[in-house]
This record gives sequence, structure tokens and C-alpha cells, in this order.
Amino acid sequence: MVDFEDYLKMVIELASKKGASYAEARFQEDTFESNLLKNGAPEVTSFDTKRGISIRVIVDGAMGFGATNRMNKKDVRNLVIKVVSSAKEASRMRKSKIQFEEATIGKEKFEIRPRIKFESVSTESRIELLKEADAAAIEAARQIGVALPGRYISLDTAITTKIIMTSDGADIRSYIPRVSIDSMLTAFDPQKGYAQRTISLGESSGWEAVERWNLPVRLKNESINLGQTLLHAESFESGRYDVVLGPEVVGIVSHESAGHPAEADRILGREAAQAGETYLNKESVGVKIGSEVVNVVDDPTIPHSFGYYLYDDEGVKARRRYLIKNGRIHEFLHNRETAYEFGTASNASSRSVSYDREPIVRMSNTFVEPGDYSFEELIEEIANGIYIKNFMEWNIDDRRYNQKYVGLEAYKIENGTLAKRVRNPVIEITTPGLWSAVDAVGKDLEFSAATCGKGDPMQGIPVWTGGPHVRLRGIYVGGSA
Amino acid sequence: MKDEDICQFVLDLCRNEGATDVVVMVIENEEKMIRFSNNQITVVKNLDETSASIFVQIKERKVGINVYDLSKTKLKAAVKKAVETAVKSQPGDVYAPLPKGPFKYDDRLMNQGKISLDTEELVGNVQEAIDAALREGGKRIAGSLIGRNAHVTIMTSGDVFARANKSTLELSVRAFVNEHASGHSLSIAAKPEDFNPKSAGAEAGTLAKLSMNPIQGNPGEFTAILGPLVFADLASQVGRFASAFYVDAGISFLGDKIDSIVASEIVSISDDPSAAGTYGAFPFDAEGLPTRRTPIVERGILKNYLHNSTTAKKFNTESTANAGLIVPHPFNLIVEPGNSSIEKMINSIDTGLYLTNDWYLRYQNYKTGDFSTIPRDAMFLIRKGEIDKAVRELRISDNILRILKNVRELSRERKWVKWWEVDVPTLTPAALVESVRFTKSTD
Repeated sequence: MVDFEDYLKMVIELASKKGASYAEARFQEDTFESNLLKNGAPEVTSFDTKRGISIRVIVDGAMGFGATNRMNKKDVRNLVIKVVSSAKEASRMRKSKIQFEEATIGKEKFEIRPRIKFESVSTESRIELLKEADAAAIEAARQIGVALPGRYISLDTAITTKIIMTSDGADIRSYIPRVSIDSMLTAFDPQKGYAQRTISLGESSGWEAVERWNLPVRLKNESINLGQTLLHAESFESGRYDVVLGPEVVGIVSHESAGHPAEADRILGREAAQAGETYLNKESVGVKIGSEVVNVVDDPTIPHSFGYYLYDDEGVKARRRYLIKNGRIHEFLHNRETAYEFGTASNASSRSVSYDREPIVRMSNTFVEPGDYSFEELIEEIANGIYIKNFMEWNIDDRRYNQKYVGLEAYKIENGTLAKRVRNPVIEITTPGLWSAVDAVGKDLEFSAATCGKGDPMQGIPVWTGGPHVRLRGIYVGGSA
Repeated sequence: MKDEDICQFVLDLCRNEGATDVVVMVIENEEKMIRFSNNQITVVKNLDETSASIFVQIKERKVGINVYDLSKTKLKAAVKKAVETAVKSQPGDVYAPLPKGPFKYDDRLMNQGKISLDTEELVGNVQEAIDAALREGGKRIAGSLIGRNAHVTIMTSGDVFARANKSTLELSVRAFVNEHASGHSLSIAAKPEDFNPKSAGAEAGTLAKLSMNPIQGNPGEFTAILGPLVFADLASQVGRFASAFYVDAGISFLGDKIDSIVASEIVSISDDPSAAGTYGAFPFDAEGLPTRRTPIVERGILKNYLHNSTTAKKFNTESTANAGLIVPHPFNLIVEPGNSSIEKMINSIDTGLYLTNDWYLRYQNYKTGDFSTIPRDAMFLIRKGEIDKAVRELRISDNILRILKNVRELSRERKWVKWWEVDVPTLTPAALVESVRFTKSTD
């Protein structure tokens, strides 16, 4: 690592000498191991060590970015010269000048030290675990009388090492191990057809997270629930219901309709052609978007979370951000560029997924803050309602206003108790319609791992989404055929 | 070391360590991207990368490793790790040896030119697109332009050795008049003479202006014209899920449907990386097999899945030269044209919708093909054979096989589509589809 520090210093010095008013240099190395089991058979084990240097500069009010994995002095110097000259060229097409706000930047090292290092877990035992979980899922499905013809389980471990230096003094070093499991189960019954469940687990931790997840038990339970849903879920009449959403659904709602709209670069139109725009604008802080019990936060500092970090990729210290507070838009997600545009301070939302991608405004761990209701209290006052525990399909328009969620495991609520399973309930609703209908928030809190897509080229970045159980009053739920 | 020396060095090492099959691919990539928004450049990005991907088999045991540090020491360590892991791995369910070369490749595909990545020139292209969009009525213009020169060297234990150059240009441009009036267009090309930023900008601007003052759309079943960007999204789903990997994993709506009707008889979709001069053309797949045209859907009948050697053996057939060492994939999708035009289609509809773009396609069930996607940018209500008004805020909530079977007309004109939402280059006409199901938000 010491060698690369010299490169980073050289990059900043050279860029500044060539005319950059701001220069940022990053070394990033990501080492991955991925194991894949398809229908019980190992497909491939893959290793990837992606590492290189990136440079970002502001020259004459325009931004240039460059990256290379050719780690010799000559290539790195040439890249700096190319990036500075590209930015100069681009500045001819800028009427407004890009500037960064004077953030309080840090000189810090943060790391997660795993209790069980990934290197100590052999590929053989990783595959053995996947096979055990696969067998448990099949056996559980067989016992309840469904087939599980499609099974796909991938296990990924990754270690990200970064050094970030900027011309205004940031020096941030980080070491974060991450582990994730993604699985899709397809259940089949000759009369009922197919049902599918996607499961995503992820943490910034060592192998101890995998031990805690107890994958065989987890997949066995998922398999039983999926099979029961396929066999027993019944169609129901569309109409207005009181609805309780489970943490997994609350998580995706928080991410899509509170997190993405609050990204300040999106508000400024920087993502307009790709990831889209937002229903919010620069003046939206304070606007009522939901009922008073709604609080949505984004917090990168949660220990071991999938979207964990303590300093962002511009060297700014991270903190919890309230996106919606008591039902009102409270704060946007900023990097130093958007913070300058908004006349505010960066709240450390700048992240990049690998050395060859520019840092952009990203979410971390986005969730509804818990309230004080137990699950029983949430449903006991519901005479005719629906509980949607998890989901399959979802999407939202590019202004983050009209969204759709299709439940997978779901139940009728009758006179305060859970009743029969219902098939594929559909919520298709606007963002204020959804958040305004919330009248009670549970005291539990669960997270799901996800990969959030944004940027061009696309950057899929690890995040958590989550929340407690949440109750919505009188929303329209579409029924399945 | 030169790229071919790296390949030979790694290949020899792998063989000496005991690998039965080896693929080494070295990719040199030089790329420039210009992102723009609010009529000005947001960032210019430069990427210079060289990486090696090494794939090792010891019979049914497979390991892949990507290396970004190509020093001899790191390459040796990578090979050692790959082979040692393969030795200890549990076997997969099938062993298929790599294809045995040497093969002859199409010269036109081997050297597909080199484009200029001069910033001034590319900034000029961006300026042309923005100016054209503004001239046609757009107020805020955003998008990205990507120029790329890649050099790929492959060597396999099956006596394959080849080097190919590939260059591409890609522009995506979106114009806004206001928050509810926008248009999107593209120009993608493998040669500068086929690249037209001005016409892409003009189309985006024109669509944005036409889509002003939209009314709320009504849910229901409508005859719909799916413009090339929308139909490309659906065709690329067919290409993606024709991969034998997804079929085998039980997550493809095309599973168990070879020789069955999956689309209207006017729909034919093939993958053709051998179409010289086009964006997705390439001479060989990841196992070194010469690429070729593979019909996927022919006159509405599903004819082929896309295979590499392993999936081909599992399905008791031959590779279609679509490796992906693990997941076979399409390179360059081509939908055959029809004999109509968008204008004629509009004239033939009493009440319907015309969609120019969509995004965020997600499945409720990959096996059945139930999905939804959101029309975006200019969308129009058609009444009595004419465009009546712009409409907004609808969603297609339907089944992909049902939509493909309901295609009634295709246009003669086709467009190459590739952008953020459609990642496989796809040449496609516009389609007129009966009874498309639209839903919308309540509350």
C-alpha cells in the first residue's frame, strides 16, 4: 500500500501544477470470491482482484475523471495530463462553474476487523454449505408436497481497501470486508403452477455473518413459506383495505420513494438521461409528503451494515440523515458539489463502487425509523385488511412518484387476526398517497441487503433497506386473477 | 509483456499445473465518456485498462479468475490459486471440453477499426446533439456519449489464438421541455460514418415538444404502438432469457418451449454477432468459437437457446458460439422488419397508445413472464387514426409471451438501440400490439 500512497501524492501535485483547482486521488482494491450453486451442482468458483487508481479534478469550473490499472509512473502521469486537459476542453461548454463546498474533511482510518477471516474458509466448505442449504430447501418443499425445480444460490465475499487523498487535505483509509448471499427458489405444483422467491442477505462483516445467518435453516423456512404460498394462497377481491407491510416491503418503499428522490444530483438533473429525475426540487425541504408518524432515515454508520462507511469518497465524515421527519421532507443526500449548489454542507453521500467509477451521490442504509407498536397491536384494530410480508415485483417511475409492489407471502387480516393466505396483492400508488396513509409504525426493525443501481456507467452499490412493520389505512389493493 | 505473451505464459503455467482446459483473454480498453445535463457537460471520464481473465477447468471442476495486475508474479499467483481451487472443488454436473481449433475468423470482424477519442471532437458531437434538441424545442438536454477502443486477445488450450479490435460510439440524449414533457433518442454505431448525434438530438427535442401538456392516462387494455426503444427492451428480454443457463436454472419464460409458439408469426428474432459493421459484431465468443447468426424466434416459433459448450452438452446439442463461459448471452440482437410504418400503424388504430420509451422492467415471475414496465418520455393517445394528446403516468402490467403473441404489425424502419435500460445492442422495428394491459396508481 505504501507504494500507492506515493502515486496518489504525485497525482495531486501534478494535477494542481497543471491547473486543477481541486484534485482527488483514490487507490481502490476489491478482492472477490464468488461461489455458485445451480440446481444443486457447483457451477464455478471465481476470483477477482480489481485494483487501480482514479483521479478527479476540477479545472476552470469543469470536472474531469480518469482511472487506470496500469500502475506505473508513466501511465499514471499520462492519465493525469489527459484528465486535466479533458476538463479544460469541457469547461468551454460550461456556463456555470462547478465548485465544491468547504467541507470539514478528515484524516482518518476506519476498518472492520472480521472475527473470522474469509481466507480461513475454504472453497470446499463454502460449496458444502450451499449444498446443505440447497438440500434442506428441497427436502422442506418435498415434505409439503411441492417440487423445487429451479434453485440458484450464490455466495460472495469481498474486501474493499481504499486510500483517498484530496488537494485540500483529506486522507482517508478504509478496509471493509463484505459478504452476501443471493438466492432464487422456484417452486412448482402441477395444478398451481410456479412461484418464485428471491432472498438477499448481506453485511459488512467477516464469515461470522454467514454462521449467524444459518443458511440451511433460512432456506428451509423460505422453501416452506414459498410452497405454502403456491399451494394455499387464494385470489381475493380488489378494493380498499387497511394494510400492514412487512419490513422487507417497507425497506424497498423507503429506498425507492424516499431515498432516491432525495439525491441532490438527481434534483439538479445530473442523472436525468439515465437514472432519472425526482418529484422534489431545491425548495422542497419542509414540504409535507406523509403523515406525522413517518420518519425515514439514511445512515451509513450502522455497524456491520451492508452500506457501511464512516467517511465518504470525498473525505467527509458520515452521519445519520433524516430524509423525511414527522412526515415532511427534511434533508437531501449531498456530495460537496451539490452541497455548494444548494448552499449547504455535504452530508457525506459520495460513493464509488470501484476504482474506475466516479464517486456520485448514493444512499447507504435507508429505512423507516421504528415507532412503538407491536405487530399484534398493528393488526388488532383491523377489521378487514391485508398483511404483505414480502414482495417479488416492484418498480417506480423515473420521477419516483408512481410505484408498484407485488406481494408474495401475504395474508388477509380479519377482525384483528391473520387469516388465509392471499395471492399476489398489488399496490400501485403515488408517493404522497403511500406515506400519507401510514398511521402506525411498529417497534421492530429488520434490514434486507440490496444492490442499488445508479450512474452511467451503471454502478451497483451495496445498501441495506429496511424498517419495522408499518400500517397503512384504506389504500387500494389490486387482487390477482 | 505483449498481450499474446501474457496469454502464452498463463496457458503454459495452467497446463503445467494440471488444468485440462484453459482460456486466457487479455482485454485492453480505452474509453472516453462525456456526461451532460442542463445543456452543459457534467464530467469527462477517461478510462485506460488492461486486464486478463483466466478460466481453468479440471474436467467438471471450473474456476475463473480476473487479474488487474499483469506482472509475472501476480499472474503466477493467480494461476496457482485457480488450479489449486479447481483441484479441491466439488465437480459440476457436466464436463464439456473446450472447442478444438484453430478456427478461421471473418477478417471484417477481426479488425473493426479504431475511432478517435479526441476530447474536442467528442465534445463537438455532444454540442451538435444538444443544439439540435434545443432547436426542435427542448429546453433542458441531458445524456451521455461513450467512445471506446478495445483490443481483445484470446488463447485457449483448444489451439485457439486470435486478436481482434473493436470500436464503438454510443450517444443517449434526453430532452425536456418541463418535468412532464420529455423525449429520448439514441445513436449507436461501430463506425463514425454511421454515428449521427444531430438526428438523435433532433428526435429527442421533437418528442419532448410533442409531449407537452399531457393528460392523465386511463388504465385498461389498449392497442399500443411500441416504438423501437420499447420493443428493443422486450426483444432483449427474449435474448437474455434464451440463455440456456437461465432455462436450466428454471428462471426463464422460454423454458421447455423449443418448437412452440412464443410470439406472433411476424416476429423473428436472431442473435447475429457476425453482422459486420454493427455495434455488437464480434468475431469469437469466450471459448474462441467463431460467432454466427443464431435464430432464436423464427416466425413466432422458439427455435434455439443460446449455448456455450457446457450448456450445449447438457442440452444434448451444439454450442451456438454464445459463450459466456458460465452464462451464454446474446451479442447483437436483430428483429426482422415488417412492412408497415409508424404512421400507417397510427392510422389503423381507432383508440390506442403510442409509447416511445420505457424503463424499469421487473418480473413478478421469470418462469411465467409476468412483468411490468413503465412507459417514459413521450407517450401519446391515438384517436381515430391520429395522435390526439400526450398522456402520462401509465404502466404496462402484462405477460411478455402474451405481448409477443399479440404483435399485429411491425414497421419497415428499424433502429439500433442500446442504452442504460437495454444493455444488449438490438436492431428493432416499432411494433403494433393488440390488447396491451395498462395500469395506473390509485391515490
